[in-house]
Amino acid sequence: MSRYLLLVLLNTPLIILGITNAVVAYKLDRTSRRRFIFRLVLWLGIFAGLVFAEPIYTFLFNKGLTQTEPLSLFDVIQITAIILVLFLANLANSRVAILEKQVRDLHQELSIRLSEKQNKK
Amino acid sequence: MRVAFVIPAYNEATVISNVLKDLKKALAKTKLDYEIVVVDDGSSDKTGQIAKAEGVFVISHILNSGSGSATATGLSYAQQNGFDIAATLDADGQHDPSEVIMGVELIQKKKADLLIGSRLINSKGMSKTKVAGNKGLSYITFLLFGINVTDSQSGMRIYSKKALDSLKWKSSGYEFCSEMLWRAKQQNMKVDEYPITAIYTDYSKAKGQNNWNSFNIIKSLLQRRIMEVFGE
Repeated sequence: MSRYLLLVLLNTPLIILGITNAVVAYKLDRTSRRRFIFRLVLWLGIFAGLVFAEPIYTFLFNKGLTQTEPLSLFDVIQITAIILVLFLANLANSRVAILEKQVRDLHQELSIRLSEKQNKK
Repeated sequence: MRVAFVIPAYNEATVISNVLKDLKKALAKTKLDYEIVVVDDGSSDKTGQIAKAEGVFVISHILNSGSGSATATGLSYAQQNGFDIAATLDADGQHDPSEVIMGVELIQKKKADLLIGSRLINSKGMSKTKVAGNKGLSYITFLLFGINVTDSQSGMRIYSKKALDSLKWKSSGYEFCSEMLWRAKQQNMKVDEYPITAIYTDYSKAKGQNNWNSFNIIKSLLQRRIMEVFGE
């Protein structure tokens, strides 16, 4: 199997998951339109980069813009690991943002309600 | 027309009583239907108790969360309780109560959504370092967000009903002053300014913002601006 095909096959599930998460979060009003577009462009950009990795490499090599070796199996694993880390970081960042907002709102609301009770006494 | 006067306070036990007395005295001369709300931001001294003894409504933050957060809580209370206008002022006594009342009248005349009491239109009485620090932050606010105001860090602000209903920010620290202006711009709100005089006592000078803190504010604003590019 071609290493370029292996690269695409290994990473496609992560990219599909990334896009699905972005769409679901947007449809459920958990994220802004701007953030949704950013995430969509990011994942589609990565996907395009992986699909066209071979022609891009060939083009750069023929033009003398790179002297690197063609894709090795180690490169495939390394790129997949980087994309996995990116996916996890994105997921964690979204969750932290949601939690931060929830804690802030909770603290605000709780302070107001408790104070209303205390001021009535 | 119901007006809420919101005072975020953190460890201001020494001066809060006088600030509230002065404000009540100035308000007694008006016909405003008002409520004074002190947001005690988790003070370790008796700020909350002293304010309560003055007969004002006190919201006690369970945790110390910063000036931006305390202001947001006070304005959220005003919004939930159907106030038409809200005004914020500092708890260290640097604002003249009569100028806050003037701001309440001005916001209606100017039909603004957010009115800022600017200490820098006439900066008499302010130290050169304070002027430089505040002008610098206003310039940074302009560079980052494209908002041109003379005093982006002023704590004296008047909010219309529209601003109370829809103006929200994420920052919890002092950087909320600039972020609030940015959010107002994003929502096409009319932001205006009027000149005020800052009263600097030894206490407020010691308590006030250190110019070095400006670097933290700039750092947070930059972070906020970059994250916005990524859709946060």
